[in-house]
Amino acid sequence: MRISRAKFQSFWMLLSLLLLFVVFLGHPAIASSQQRDTKEELLALPGELGRSGGRLVVALRGEPKTLNPLIAADSRSREVIAVMQADLVHINRATQLTEPALAKSWKISPDGLQYTLVLRQGIKFSDGQPLGADDVIFTFQVYLDENVHAPQRDLLIVGGKPITVRKVDGQTVVFQLAKTYGVGERLFDGLAILPKHLLEKPYQEGKLAQIGTLETAAKQWAGLGPFRMKEYVAGQRLILERNPYYWKADTQGNRLPYLDELVFLFVPNADAQVLKFESGESDVISQLGAENFSVLSRQQKGYVMTDAGPGLEYNFLFFNLNAPGEKASSEMRRKQEWFREVKFRQAVSNAVDREAIVRLAYQGRGTAIWGLVAPGNRRWGNEKLAHPARSLDRARALLREAGFSWSNGPDGESTLQDAQGKPVEFSILTSSSNADRAKMAALIQDDLKQLGMRVQVVPLEFRSLLDRVTQSKEYDACVMGIASFDADPNSDINVWLSSGGTHLWNPSQAYPATPWEAEIDRLIEEQMSARTFEQRKKLYDRAQEILSEKQPMIFLASPDILAGAKNSVGNFHPAVLEPYVLWNVEQLYRKSATENGTR
Amino acid sequence: MMRYFLRRSAHAFLLIAGVSMLTFLFTTLAPGNYFDEMRLNPQIAPETVAALRAQYQLDRPLPVRYLYWLNSVVHGEMGFSFAYNSAVAPILLARARNTLLLTIVATLLAWGIALPLGVWSAERRGRLPDRVLSLGTAALLVIPELGLVLGLLMFAVRSGWFPAGGMASVEFESLTFIHKVRDLALHMTLPVVALVLSALPLLIRHVRAAVADVLDAPFLLAAQGHGVPKRTLLYRYALPAAANPLISLFGFSIGGLLSGSLLIEVVMSWPGLGPLLLEAILSRDLYVVVGGVLFSTLFLAGGNFLADMLLYWADPRIRRESSLR
Amino acid sequence: MKNWHAFTRWLIALGVLHGIVLCAGFFAPYGPSEQDRKSPYLPPMRVHFVDGQGHFHLRPFVYSFRLRDGSFDQYEEDAAKPDPLRFFVSGWRYRLFGLLPSGLHLFGAETTRVYLLGSDGYGRDQFSRLLFGGQVSLLAGFLGTGFALVAGLSIGAVAGYYGGWRDDVLMRVAELFLALPWLYLLFALRAFLPLAVGPLQAFFLIIAVIGAVGWARPARLVRAVVLSAKERDFVRAARGFGATDIYLLRRHVLPETSSVLLTQAAILIPQYVMAEMTLSFLGLGVPEPVPSWGNLLSNLQQYSVLVSYWWMYLPALAIVPFFLGYLGLASSLQERGEAYKIERRGLGRLT
Repeated sequence: MRISRAKFQSFWMLLSLLLLFVVFLGHPAIASSQQRDTKEELLALPGELGRSGGRLVVALRGEPKTLNPLIAADSRSREVIAVMQADLVHINRATQLTEPALAKSWKISPDGLQYTLVLRQGIKFSDGQPLGADDVIFTFQVYLDENVHAPQRDLLIVGGKPITVRKVDGQTVVFQLAKTYGVGERLFDGLAILPKHLLEKPYQEGKLAQIGTLETAAKQWAGLGPFRMKEYVAGQRLILERNPYYWKADTQGNRLPYLDELVFLFVPNADAQVLKFESGESDVISQLGAENFSVLSRQQKGYVMTDAGPGLEYNFLFFNLNAPGEKASSEMRRKQEWFREVKFRQAVSNAVDREAIVRLAYQGRGTAIWGLVAPGNRRWGNEKLAHPARSLDRARALLREAGFSWSNGPDGESTLQDAQGKPVEFSILTSSSNADRAKMAALIQDDLKQLGMRVQVVPLEFRSLLDRVTQSKEYDACVMGIASFDADPNSDINVWLSSGGTHLWNPSQAYPATPWEAEIDRLIEEQMSARTFEQRKKLYDRAQEILSEKQPMIFLASPDILAGAKNSVGNFHPAVLEPYVLWNVEQLYRKSATENGTR
Repeated sequence: MMRYFLRRSAHAFLLIAGVSMLTFLFTTLAPGNYFDEMRLNPQIAPETVAALRAQYQLDRPLPVRYLYWLNSVVHGEMGFSFAYNSAVAPILLARARNTLLLTIVATLLAWGIALPLGVWSAERRGRLPDRVLSLGTAALLVIPELGLVLGLLMFAVRSGWFPAGGMASVEFESLTFIHKVRDLALHMTLPVVALVLSALPLLIRHVRAAVADVLDAPFLLAAQGHGVPKRTLLYRYALPAAANPLISLFGFSIGGLLSGSLLIEVVMSWPGLGPLLLEAILSRDLYVVVGGVLFSTLFLAGGNFLADMLLYWADPRIRRESSLR
Repeated sequence: MKNWHAFTRWLIALGVLHGIVLCAGFFAPYGPSEQDRKSPYLPPMRVHFVDGQGHFHLRPFVYSFRLRDGSFDQYEEDAAKPDPLRFFVSGWRYRLFGLLPSGLHLFGAETTRVYLLGSDGYGRDQFSRLLFGGQVSLLAGFLGTGFALVAGLSIGAVAGYYGGWRDDVLMRVAELFLALPWLYLLFALRAFLPLAVGPLQAFFLIIAVIGAVGWARPARLVRAVVLSAKERDFVRAARGFGATDIYLLRRHVLPETSSVLLTQAAILIPQYVMAEMTLSFLGLGVPEPVPSWGNLLSNLQQYSVLVSYWWMYLPALAIVPFFLGYLGLASSLQERGEAYKIERRGLGRLT
């Protein structure tokens, strides 16, 4: 039978169309939109190659309260969350510059108001579900929702308005800012991307704050970090296992992390941490005090101790400059009159023996500071600021100018008196759990004794201390320390701004209490939206000058970052930014084949 | 017998109730209000704060608060811990278990050493061995407990033979049973040594005194005359006669099971009731303090009660005395 | 009679010990808060009689210390610079017994500071701090005991003398206090009172707290004595003559309690000194920079101190001679009391 030519041709056309269609289907770009399994775009990390396998044990000072980034306030929770979550853009702790993370590239519009980020393709959460632009949109929706009270919300308010985000396609999102932001893409560092498929329902029910606890996180949470939750034993340890879907690889293409398990041991305090490290129970140790560092350095059996150089922590003494409430006693008012006198504060600053603080509290492993920018932050310090040497004469001259005088007691000791003849006495609060700051307070006490002031050091439990300083404002003076979490002035913005919560001498002001605080506010706001580094630095320098002149905080010293690890831990490069030792946890590995968590 | 028992239990019960009221009263000395504590804890949701407020009536006057706390005791919760964000009772029980592990072992050891030593010394009273032991116990008595514990800790740290504190090593969960036991034993050694050394001197002295008092009694001389061997004489005749004060002492030992080891636990980082209480006191976690003190008092009262019961059973004079009443 | 000698012997020994502590200003070369920031954690200095060349010197001397290069707390003796010790030197001014200003010290060296027991993290002399700390701890023990005894005496006397419902109530309350674990109670009470107080106020708070917790046992003992005393013939007779209660208590009854109070004092003083030490050790007692035997030990809780600076442990043993003295005193008092009672009863037992 002869088939008509027309029919034959249409048959072949149909067949070739079909074939084309099949080929078309097989094309990766089309396939990805239909199938769920796309080729992943892994981030290849440069650096030393390591061995897969093994376990790392870290001793944590205390137990994390939660694994939910939306409510984590304490540093321990943050430390654990950091290895379980990932952000869009990450600051490399070693170089202190930004790098692509979940976003493989980004573009900032010429007017500085739009940030376009392109996500990596094929990334999966730790439970195997895919990551897409919807998760990013959901994440920022949650962060910005006022009812959620996420601490991250404040970080996303630029120019008084919250950042908005919209989806361009499955892989691209655009962030819209109300004002230009000098910090740029650094703002994305640390903002964990949340899984919409797990959290959407609790969010709609308003139950987000209740999930993600240590006991339930394994089932309720999925992250994009190198590790995921495996087991939790209350009061003892937290075991994390390798995330098989982690999106980073080494230069040879091996998927990271190298380690199979990461164990966090809970110990009660710093000394217990040292004991565990010394006995070989834990493999790395960080945030060491100088004394423990010396002890460990002296022994050095099977481990190596590293001084990573000056860090970003700054310690300071500040006075209660809050406006006195109606309930304030006359004694408090009198004291505050002294504190408000600039020359009084300058005199105290001149009398403090910073060199002794570095030597006795940090055993020389630290630097004296006179300003807010710690020496670990090399780009932003104001080099022109004066670093006056300690001078008791200068201090006495300043006090005399301010109307103070000395009276001589019967035993030859002289007491400082104010213009009304009342002796100058006050107390300095400090945290009872921090031995270094207690030492600083004791040294300051002795220094001020030489000026005739009677100072008393009161150690308090940290929570009570915080409550006194930020809530009830019932204190005279306090010694505290803050560690900036980024080498960019914006990380300390709440210290600078008069409305900030960590503007410790007079926090959360409705409007600036003094003209110089108003001036600082203005400078900081301006540098936030300046576009270039030079512009920002000029403004920031001026703000530091004002602070150095008015001395609301008397800066003391900054410790070096001290850490240690067993010899068998590879790729150990402590950084001066948090998390000091685990920042490159995906690249840490155990060297010997027989190592398995013991020495 | 029943009447004595009932009387003693009623007594103990009243004591405990009184103690709970007293401790509750003490906690009101603390300045500030309870809500500050809860506000500072980010994990406690506002709804929980409101629920707690309702459950414990925290803004009402003291007697009301006490009643609501009593209510929670009856329900097995014993109040709410602000620091641990949970009911107090489970925390207390877990820690009390750790403390008891130490103190029971130490008490048994101490009595096990003190009894034979005391009897031996009483038998040779006035002679050289007695004097030497007397000197030894005096030497131990004058060393302050703080010095003893710190000294042992220093020894542990410098020699490395014992772990310097804590209850278990990191690999505890993954060890075999035998190794678990060994690990626990190693961690327990120094705290137990400290407890035993601080309890021994007084125990030995009391045992010696009690037995020495009895050894002059005529009936023992008579038994000796009958040819009863020395060992039987001491342990089957003398010791039971001397038992009266010793049983009371034993009651004290039981009573101190929970509270006597506070300092040692704190210095050696043993996760027992002591460190919990200290922490709670320092962080104003009031219900934990009340619960902890109550727990220890329970043991104290229980110890006395047990001693009374034992005395009743062991000493016929008391039985007769009480039935006469 | 033998017991009189024992009692006096112990009393003299204790007197000497307390005397040394009382004159802390004289025996200590330096003040308790004098910092020497160039010499933190110096180990105890050795007193030498023979120098590097083998010559014997009658006057003992010490070597000054030099910091070993590159280290923070490793020192070595500088053998080139012997510094002879001088006795009865004049130094920093203090008040003997709190009254007489003086500048005389038992010993001192010319150029270097003499650290007999080493120095602490601020370079303060531990030996001086030990002596001054003793003043604080012992005084706290004394005053605490005094407070507890006075309270116990009053309450016990009232309960024993008047009897009835007063007796019942007071003794029930006493039983309550005795039932509480006193160390816990001490801590709880102290911690619930304001923590941010000056050293003087903290000191008195400790005493008040100790007294508030410790009155129960003395009260019970006093009550027992008063109960038996008030039935004595001469008391009944005096009452028959129309003596008031106060007169009876003051003249006849209370003097009977003296021996029990004395024995209690000998037992309680060391106990309360320990209580102060424990409180200060845990940070609830006397605050820095005022030394007390307790807070001299508190930095031993740091691992680095335990490992590297063994001399910081020595204050723990400072109280040992005092405990010994009080123990001897208490046992001699008890023996004396027993012997007295036996003599009274006229049993004439061979001792």
